[in-house]
Amino acid sequence: MTWGLTADEWVIVGLSLKIGVAAMVAMLPPAFALAWLLARRRFPGKLLLDTLVHLPLVVPPVVTGWLLLLLFGTQGPIGRWLMAWFGVTLLFRWTGAALAAAIMALPLMVRAMRLSIMAIDRRLEQAAETLGASRLRIFCTISLPLALPGIVAGAMLGFARSIGEFGATITFVSDIPGETRTLPIAIYSALQMPDSEAAVMRLALLSIALSFAALILSEYLARRAAPSGPSHGL
Amino acid sequence: MTAFLLRALALLTLSCASISHAVPHDRGPVLLAAASMQEAMTAAADAWAARGHPRPVLSFAGSSALARQIKAGAPADLFLSADEAWMDDVARAGWLAPGSRSTLAGNSLVLVAPRARPVRLRIARGMPISRALGDGRLAMADPDSVPAGKYGKAALTALGAWPQVAAKIVRTDNVRSALALVERGEVPLGIVYATDARASTGVSVVGAFPASSHAPIRYPVARIKGSTSKDAEPFRRFLLSPAGKAILARYGFSTR
Repeated sequence: MTWGLTADEWVIVGLSLKIGVAAMVAMLPPAFALAWLLARRRFPGKLLLDTLVHLPLVVPPVVTGWLLLLLFGTQGPIGRWLMAWFGVTLLFRWTGAALAAAIMALPLMVRAMRLSIMAIDRRLEQAAETLGASRLRIFCTISLPLALPGIVAGAMLGFARSIGEFGATITFVSDIPGETRTLPIAIYSALQMPDSEAAVMRLALLSIALSFAALILSEYLARRAAPSGPSHGL
Repeated sequence: MTAFLLRALALLTLSCASISHAVPHDRGPVLLAAASMQEAMTAAADAWAARGHPRPVLSFAGSSALARQIKAGAPADLFLSADEAWMDDVARAGWLAPGSRSTLAGNSLVLVAPRARPVRLRIARGMPISRALGDGRLAMADPDSVPAGKYGKAALTALGAWPQVAAKIVRTDNVRSALALVERGEVPLGIVYATDARASTGVSVVGAFPASSHAPIRYPVARIKGSTSKDAEPFRRFLLSPAGKAILARYGFSTR
């Protein structure tokens, strides 16, 4: 079944999904930890951390990509270290695209998760505590299940953001077919060719359809999480 | 709060109105030019302004983006494209003033390496470019769509080197991004225009591709249909005059 897509287009869609999933999965633990920290704890520098987490939302993506290139390039401090110790490089690789997408997705993931953590009724946790439950048990049987829909919604939102990532990605890992040419980059690249309107239109519709599906899933999960309250998503 | 917002809105409206009001007066022609022409056209606009004319308004981007803007009705006066294909595209769509198209300049293609890690390689048929790359990649503008990349692919194909390097190419959205990757030492080799290599202090030229290995690199300039600036045609003529060509030559373009 090809659904009318060409082999090249399937490669592009597959790669976009792979990068989106990798970015989402890799960011899930740190995003949750940050959301928990920001929702529950008071500590010096909280405002600063909050701002740093949200920075990718407002900094021009090309700046993020450029910083990634400086840090993770073969000449950069982290890139050189990764190469020397593990023999891996993120530059010009799909893993680099996933890293760029993950950083851009982080603020949206943390936001959604943080709201759902803040919505947990603390009295339920306190009740469990008076009944002698350990903190780990309270977390696993009360807090986590109650926050779960928000976590899933945040993850879907992060995924949706990841498959749309363009600026940081093209700056960091450029455009290599089958490796870093995701949907947005393929659209941009097709725009550079004369008489490519039909190809651009197909890819653009595909991109809208994917984003729409991811967003609607995220909204649906968020609504299920809070049937009476407002959406936890955007 | 509402009063404040209303005031801010009023201020914004006023300033917008005054901007749009100010535009028709004393403005030079709007030139949409290929990114590789940035330094040369800035100098040309300065020279034109120094002769007492209103300074042309310059906008630089990839030729593809500019062509699309023109076809979408961008209020511009002149178009300077990095290749004939995009000028043809605009012409076919009926957006060029008849008889205003001329070739302004030419360029050549070079192989560059980071200044810190020079590469010795003689550019010829059967050159061991794959060995020179090693584990590294070759940076060039997208060989399917961006002019510099298309010329580069043609040259590598003519020299029989394309099959060796096709899988090692890093495609960039424009030629200057490829230059930046070489400057930063992220790739051992890159293909850029001779003028780009000349504008950078971070790269050294390994060698030039023979002119016979690719279609001639030409920059056509033309007036856009519907151009309203009375300075558009005089500025176009100035660019094509000996004085204009001398400026282009200073930045490494050929102007024969």
